[in-house]
Amino acid sequence: MITVALAKGALLKDSVARFLKAGLDFTALLDPDNRQLMVPSSCGRARALLVRNGDVPVYVAYGQAQLGVVGYDVLREHQMPVAQLVDLGFGGCHLAVAVKATSGYRRASDLPPHCRVASKFTHCAKGFFEEIDLPVELVHLTGSVELGPITGMAEAIVDLVATGRTLKENGLVSIEELFHSTARLIGNPLSLRLDSGELQEIVEAVRDNDQLRKASS
Amino acid sequence: MALQPAAGAKDLNPKQVELNHQLSIRLAEVYKQWGYEEVAPPRVERMATLKAGGAISSKEIVRIVSDEALGLRPEMTASIARAACTRFGERPRPLRLWAAGTVFESKSTVDGALCIEESLHSGVELFGLKNVSAELELLSLLVKSISKLKLGVNNKTQILIGHTDILDLILTQFNQCDKDTIRKYLAEFDRLSIENSHLKTNEKKYLNKILDTRGKPDSVIEEIKSMFGESKCLQDIRRLFNYIEPLASSQSISIQFDPTFLPHFDLYQGFVFQVVCHHSTAPVVIARGGRYDEIVSRCGASGNDAAGVGFSFAIDSIRELIGNESQDQTGIEKVLVAYGPGVSLEEALNRQHQWHNKGVMAIVEVNCCKNKNMASEMMLNRNCSTLDWIDL
Repeated sequence: MITVALAKGALLKDSVARFLKAGLDFTALLDPDNRQLMVPSSCGRARALLVRNGDVPVYVAYGQAQLGVVGYDVLREHQMPVAQLVDLGFGGCHLAVAVKATSGYRRASDLPPHCRVASKFTHCAKGFFEEIDLPVELVHLTGSVELGPITGMAEAIVDLVATGRTLKENGLVSIEELFHSTARLIGNPLSLRLDSGELQEIVEAVRDNDQLRKASS
Repeated sequence: MALQPAAGAKDLNPKQVELNHQLSIRLAEVYKQWGYEEVAPPRVERMATLKAGGAISSKEIVRIVSDEALGLRPEMTASIARAACTRFGERPRPLRLWAAGTVFESKSTVDGALCIEESLHSGVELFGLKNVSAELELLSLLVKSISKLKLGVNNKTQILIGHTDILDLILTQFNQCDKDTIRKYLAEFDRLSIENSHLKTNEKKYLNKILDTRGKPDSVIEEIKSMFGESKCLQDIRRLFNYIEPLASSQSISIQFDPTFLPHFDLYQGFVFQVVCHHSTAPVVIARGGRYDEIVSRCGASGNDAAGVGFSFAIDSIRELIGNESQDQTGIEKVLVAYGPGVSLEEALNRQHQWHNKGVMAIVEVNCCKNKNMASEMMLNRNCSTLDWIDL
C-alpha cells in the first residue's frame, strides 16, 4: 500500500486537493472532527499520515512513507535524503532576514558582527551568514520568532514571510531574502527505484495536473 | 541516569546475539561450499586504506586519536583487497575470500553530535576475474545466500542492479563540467534540480526519460539498446540477467534493473547492486555489492589481476527484519537440573555433566528448591523444556 505523509496546517488543504486530482482521495483529513492520524484513501490503495511539517521528510527519508508534500524551506533546513519530484507551486513564501523597522539596518551585511539572530531555521541561517562572511550568534526558537528583536534578545530574525503582515504588525521589516519556498512533492529514493509503476503513476498524475494548472494560469 | 552505551553502539541481548550467530553460520556454510576461504581483516586500518582512494568520505570514518592517521573500518572490502594484493598476491586467481565482522560508520545525530553506528557484516570477495564470469558467480552465490537466510514469505526480496558504464553512456553527450552535477541529480533522484538547471529543454526531457527508465531487465536493456545501440557492456548485462533472473525467480526474488542507481559508497565501477527487503512498512537494504577493480588496482595489482567483485550482508538489519520469526526456540531441549533438601549441588553438577555428555543443553538451579513444584516454576522461569528433579 502506498503511504503519503502530509503536513498539518497551511499546506494540508492544497495537498489533499492535488492528490484528489491524481486519484487519491484523502478528504477525510479535512473533516474538522477527524482525529485520526492515519487515514486510508477512499479507493483503499493508499493511506495518508498526518504529521508535523518538519516530520514529513523524516517519514519519507526513512521509507515509512513513499511520498510526501512539504515546503522547500523545510527541505533546505533538514537536508534529509529525499527525492524532490514536483514543485507544486502553492504555499509560496520566502525565508528572509528581518529587523526592527526603527533599527536603520537596510541589508543583512549592515548587522554588527557577532550580533544575535533568532530563528527556527538555524541551519539555513548559518549557511546564509557564512556566505556573506558575517559571524553571528544564532539563537534557536521554535515559534513567535518576531519577539526576538521586539524584546531586545536578538538584533534580527530569519523567518518565513508570506504576506509580510505579521512582520508589519510587530514593527519589523524584511531586509534580505534567502530563498523563495513553495510546496514540493517528495519521494523516498529507494522506493521510487524499486517501484513497479504504481508510485510513478501517481507522481506523473500530480505532475501532469500541475503542468495543466500552470498552463491555464 | 544509569551509564548508557555510546550513540549508535550495539548492545545486544542473548537472543539477538544467537540470531546474529545463526545467520552468520548459515552464510558461512554457503561461502565455504562455494570454495571461499575465511580471512579476518583488521578493524583498525590506516586512513589511506579506509578511504579506498577517495571512494569513502573521511567524515564517515571513525578516526582514532594517534600519531598516525588511523580509523575503524567502515566496510571490509578495501582491507581484504589490500591483503589479496600483498600477502595473497602470489596465490592463483581467481582468489575467493570471505569475512565476517563489525564495521563502524561515523554519523551525525540531529543535534550534531557524533554517532558511531556499529554493525555486523558478512560477505565475500572474488579477485582476478575481469569479465562478466565474476558477476555470474557472485550473483549466483548472492541468490543462494539469500535463500539460506530464510527471510520469510512476508519479506518480498528484490535485487536492485545498476551499471556505472551505462550511466557513463547516458552522460556521454554532456560536457565534463556538467557530468558530475547531472550524475548527482540522477543518483539522488532529484527531478526538480534537473528542471531548475541551466540545461536545454531537450536535455532535461532526455534526463527525465532516463530517470523513468527502470524495471525488468529485458525491457530496460531493450530501451537502452534503442537509445545507444548494441555494446559489449549490454551483451554482458544481457548474459548476466539471462542466467540470474530465472535463478532469482526460483527463490521468489525479483530483479530490478535501474541504470541510474548508484550506491552510497563510491567504491564501484561496473555492476552495482543492493538487496532490498520490503518489510511491512519500509524497504530495508540487507546487502550491497558490486565490482571494484580500481581499488584492487590501487592496492598494487595490475593487468587481469586488477579485478575484484564482492558483496556484504548487513546481519543486524536481517535480524531486525526477521525478528521474532526466527527466535522460536521450540524444539530445542533445555534441561533444568534442580535438587531438593538433602541433595548437594555437587550431585546436581554431576547430573548436568551426564546431560552434556548426551549432547543436551542443561543448566543447574544453583540454589536448593524446597519441593518439586518450586523446581517446576523455576524451570518455566529459566525457559527450560524439561525438569530433572533430584530428591532424596
